Amino acid sequence: MSILSIGLLYGGSTLLVMFAGMPIAFALGAVATIFMIAFMPSSSVDTITQNVYEEMASITLLSIPLFILKGAAIGRSRAGQDLYGALHAWLHRIPGGLGIANVFACALFAAMAGSSPATCSAIGSAGIPQMRKHGYSGGFAAGIIAAGGTLGILLPPSITMILYAVAAEQSLGRLFLAAIGPALLLVVLFTAYAMWRFRLEYANAKAAYEKSGTHSEILRIDNLSMREKFALLPRVLPFIVLLTGVMIALYGGFATPSETAGLGAVLALALIAIIYSVWTPSDLEPILMSTLRESTMLMLIIGMSLLYSYVMSYLHISQSTAEWIVSLHLSRWILLVTILLMVVVLGFFLPPVSIILMTAPIILPPLRAANFDLIWFGVIMTIVMEMGLIHPPVGLNIFVINNIAPDIPLRDVMWGVLPFVGLMILGVVILCFAPGIATWFPDQVMGAGH
Amino acid sequence: MVHGLDTVGTASEAVSVKEDTAGFERFVAPVNYVVTLASSIALVIASFVLSYSVASRYFFHFSTDWQDEFSVFLIVGAVFMSAAAVQARRGHVAIEAFSAMLSRRANRIRLFLVDVASLAFCAFFAWKSWILLHEAIVEGYRTGSTWQPPLWVPYSLMTCGMVLLSIQLILQVATHISRWNKPV
Repeated sequence: MSILSIGLLYGGSTLLVMFAGMPIAFALGAVATIFMIAFMPSSSVDTITQNVYEEMASITLLSIPLFILKGAAIGRSRAGQDLYGALHAWLHRIPGGLGIANVFACALFAAMAGSSPATCSAIGSAGIPQMRKHGYSGGFAAGIIAAGGTLGILLPPSITMILYAVAAEQSLGRLFLAAIGPALLLVVLFTAYAMWRFRLEYANAKAAYEKSGTHSEILRIDNLSMREKFALLPRVLPFIVLLTGVMIALYGGFATPSETAGLGAVLALALIAIIYSVWTPSDLEPILMSTLRESTMLMLIIGMSLLYSYVMSYLHISQSTAEWIVSLHLSRWILLVTILLMVVVLGFFLPPVSIILMTAPIILPPLRAANFDLIWFGVIMTIVMEMGLIHPPVGLNIFVINNIAPDIPLRDVMWGVLPFVGLMILGVVILCFAPGIATWFPDQVMGAGH
Repeated sequence: MVHGLDTVGTASEAVSVKEDTAGFERFVAPVNYVVTLASSIALVIASFVLSYSVASRYFFHFSTDWQDEFSVFLIVGAVFMSAAAVQARRGHVAIEAFSAMLSRRANRIRLFLVDVASLAFCAFFAWKSWILLHEAIVEGYRTGSTWQPPLWVPYSLMTCGMVLLSIQLILQVATHISRWNKPV
């Protein structure tokens, strides 16, 4: 059988079992195993479990559960609400300041927790009711939180970035640093939109008030004293210290990424015990259980995705597909757009972990041949996958918002997030014209050339 | 809380297996609970071991030759051992795009086939893990590091985890069969 036939059969059967509803981890493992039995020597089938174990027993990959533990500890405490409260106090005098406070709180919380849905849930549960109380429309409030939450897979310690670093054999430290500039760019774009949209909603409310006397809460101006503002800071500072401390440990050369993850988890558990008195077994049980559930699910998908990629590579499917893409001699930008569109479509159905591990062997060689910087591409790909978290039909963050703010109709949430999808596309375009936004910072810290 | 994905609801048919397979369930549920508890403690221990690694190297200039591998064993063990408990809650993420388009009867058949296929794969994997474990014990396999711990330790955790997962899937397949003639 030709490689083309085997490849089509491999891809087709994967789609079939996945869309039948078989758990992704088992589906990938089962298809890989069947193709090993059918097309590979029997000795390779005998090493199937050894393959999976050796792929999973990478200390870089195994930092993922510890980063999840750190995120769960922070996500299940009141840290999100405190962070949001402090930022609101300091930014509320700026037009749209409440929305901006939510964007900033999402970015900071995402950097501490490393999870998009956790960020949406932690900041949104305090932020959305406050924004609604202050007259923001439901769709606008939901859009800010859903989009802000996506920064969780872009900002370090992003699980998606860890996987990309492993799949693309790129420096994890460099990738983490490369994501900071683009994340700030997105924060600026989201902030600018929040200010513009606030002014629009404010102007409409004012016109309605002048016309019919209908008062909207958006017209009310809060006043907080300096004393009140400073009173909120002590609760937030320890977490900012945790965030910067972990970064210093990693980039100061004191700890490897996995040690950073372990250290971050221990510090996060210590902080929630000291500040929020979360230390009894009954307090810790939900944190540990949710960590374990998420870690197990993710690590099994990762292990089986790596087995799937190994079989794809052994049967020359990935190499042949990559060679075919290169032989098309597409212009580099058409190649990039085509690959990103494929990622968008895959994002309708698959989680980012599977997209990265399954597609990396196919898409990275053509991108390398077209002289794209793979660190830069990792950032671009992550932003595109972020879009998958907020665009229909799957859009996980949309459903998180629907869960924490069920009074906002799903239709309003979807319309509310669409401008942010547009802003992310704009962010990708800006990064294509100015790749230095991603590459400058790692070059400064770690030296140019890699 | 999930990093870009969630347990998108194979939960629809899910968990209520109690009345049909009560005896079996009574055995599996406590095992899953104990294993999950031990696994979560393993994760916390791994965090402390890696933190100790940083502190001992930085403050006392000790060499760090065992911490990484010890943490790997703990985390790999935790992941495999708790796979069954996650499956018990239908926590392994799946694509459910077409479930809404199918009738309840068609969905029931689909879920049955999915569980049988999952069971076949996990049982095969458990069997191969057992062979690997046996080999590691007989041949005395060790890792290639300076610490050189025996590989039967993580292999035994992988084998036990996959056996538990297969038992969990048998329970779920049995539940489908016991409900087969009940009205949809």
